[in-house]
Amino acid sequence: MEWLVAGSVVLLCLYMAWTIGANDVANSMGAAVGSGCITIRQALVIAAIFEFAGAVLVGSDVTDTIRKGIVEPSALAKSPEVLCLGMACALLASALWLHVATWMGMPVSTTHSIVGAVAGFGVVAAGIQAVHWGKIVSIVASWFISPIAGLVLGYIIFKFILRSVLTRAQPVVAASNVAPIIVFLTTLVLAMATLYDGMKNLLKPGGALAAWATGSRAIAAAVVVSLVCAGATWLLLRRRAQAQAGLPLADQLRRVERLFIPLAVMAACSVSFAHGANDVANAVGPLAAVVDLLKHGVVRKEVPVPLWILGLGGVGIVLGLATYGYTVMRTIGKEITEITPSRAVAAGIATAATVLTCTRMGLPVSTSHCVVGAVLGVGLARGLGAVNRRVVRNICGSWLATVPAAAGMAMLLFVLGHYFGVDVFLKQLMPALPPAP
Amino acid sequence: MSLIGELFGKSPFGPLVEHAKKVNECVKLVRPLLEACVREDWEGIHRLQDAVTKLEYEADVVKHEIRDHLTRRYFLPVAREDLDRYLHSQDEIADSAQDFAVVLILRNTKIHPELVQEFSDFVDQIVLVSETLTNAAQEMDLLAETSFGGAEADSVLKKISGLGEGEWKADRMQRKLGQHIYRLEKELDPITISFYEKMLRSLSGIANAAENTGDMLRAMIVKS
Repeated sequence: MEWLVAGSVVLLCLYMAWTIGANDVANSMGAAVGSGCITIRQALVIAAIFEFAGAVLVGSDVTDTIRKGIVEPSALAKSPEVLCLGMACALLASALWLHVATWMGMPVSTTHSIVGAVAGFGVVAAGIQAVHWGKIVSIVASWFISPIAGLVLGYIIFKFILRSVLTRAQPVVAASNVAPIIVFLTTLVLAMATLYDGMKNLLKPGGALAAWATGSRAIAAAVVVSLVCAGATWLLLRRRAQAQAGLPLADQLRRVERLFIPLAVMAACSVSFAHGANDVANAVGPLAAVVDLLKHGVVRKEVPVPLWILGLGGVGIVLGLATYGYTVMRTIGKEITEITPSRAVAAGIATAATVLTCTRMGLPVSTSHCVVGAVLGVGLARGLGAVNRRVVRNICGSWLATVPAAAGMAMLLFVLGHYFGVDVFLKQLMPALPPAP
Repeated sequence: MSLIGELFGKSPFGPLVEHAKKVNECVKLVRPLLEACVREDWEGIHRLQDAVTKLEYEADVVKHEIRDHLTRRYFLPVAREDLDRYLHSQDEIADSAQDFAVVLILRNTKIHPELVQEFSDFVDQIVLVSETLTNAAQEMDLLAETSFGGAEADSVLKKISGLGEGEWKADRMQRKLGQHIYRLEKELDPITISFYEKMLRSLSGIANAAENTGDMLRAMIVKS
């Protein structure tokens, strides 16, 4: 009968993943579609592939944080059904809050919602001491720091592109020399995020491959892969660059953006990958806790997140962007026409690097805020014709609103569930739980 | 609702190129206007004046659009005041060209045969100065692409470096033409002389506005 419990949590988790996929696709693909690099349909296909890949390959760190890093599971060891109810309430509250905020026209972060909800139920269910307040502080700090890091990186990367390509006397030739560097950097970020001390859930622990893929060998592997991609880029571009080398400056400037199109697509892929890695946890973190509980009676510390859970989240995200993503992209794509591929590259790489770094540190961050930070960084480097400063105010406002709202809703739902004896009902569904070790 | 959708404002630099193109077309009609006046083709002057007015109006429409989108909430790559003054100066070029056309239709003023060559040379110089500026101004989108720096900025600065001297030459021609007019004052009636004055003033207004616009453009590039 515990599959009934697991089943309903799975459904809630899929629903949350669907919402995440539908709402957030514009963050990763918006710049690439708006600057005319790809069509919306192509964007959705690419996003689907990379979101799923990110979720499965790199999604376990943040999922771990949500399943056991916020609320200490051993505090509820005697009453696992309470943890079950709480996680379910957290998911439901998050999903509800997302709908309310969307309906009210407010920008909302899926990450802030789930973290607030889990912390909220933790306080009510197990008491204030059951919540890892140190972790909460570092998570909240990352919510402030990650957009700023995105801004700094966006500024630096765009200044680099300016100095090395756009302000040169022969921009097309310069682009063919700099593109391999950009490919190298982007591939390195993705490869390092995946390989360095990662892939715990894909490789058998203690197996030969797992022992090999650590430390400096992982770094070396990442560097080699990146160099290969960079070399391929250089070979592909040199002939075209030489053909256009003699053109006057104005002509070269009008053509150089075209050379950035594949790079912008690559940057969008990396943002999708990073988003999948960081945000899949918002849907499957609670599920992972519940599944562990039902299987083993306790949420174990050192066991990696099961692959099928990450895969489920990935599927949910893909479903979301496949069904609702087209409408969202069409609406937003019209508003992002003022970006060009070179700017999209800078913003994309900055976002992906920031989000992936936070992901590997186990910190759930809002990809939307990081994207805004990166774009603002490009704007500060004078890369954009006009940047709306008010968005910063919206971000600060959403910080203040989302966490209390989601926490409040989770608390309310949990208290209601507890009052109506849902947890007692759950306990009856879980008779076969092994005793906690 | 989505943050990223609200983030991007409309860049003014594409419309600025369009504005420069319209202004250029206004100024292109100045030479035909003078030639029509010399030929005493009063019908032709009316047609040309209609064309200039229409183009000047279209430039105004672009200018209003740019201004409408430049609210304070947007952060621009150049100082807002510099952009405003640049746009204002560039618009004055078209305004002065239209003033010239209006002067010609107010009265069928004949140009004294001795003055025709000097008027023609003066108009050529004015148009040269204006076209130097508008050719550089039409690279505004490329300037935005390179964030107002690097090789493109150097190239534009070089293009407008001759504006000061060109406008000074135009001033000198205007003075000489004025002196010539007054040497012929016994052969001309006072109203004709007054209309020659109006023509000279509107023509030199074109060159002055072009030179001021060039200054504003230089300020935008150099301050970046």
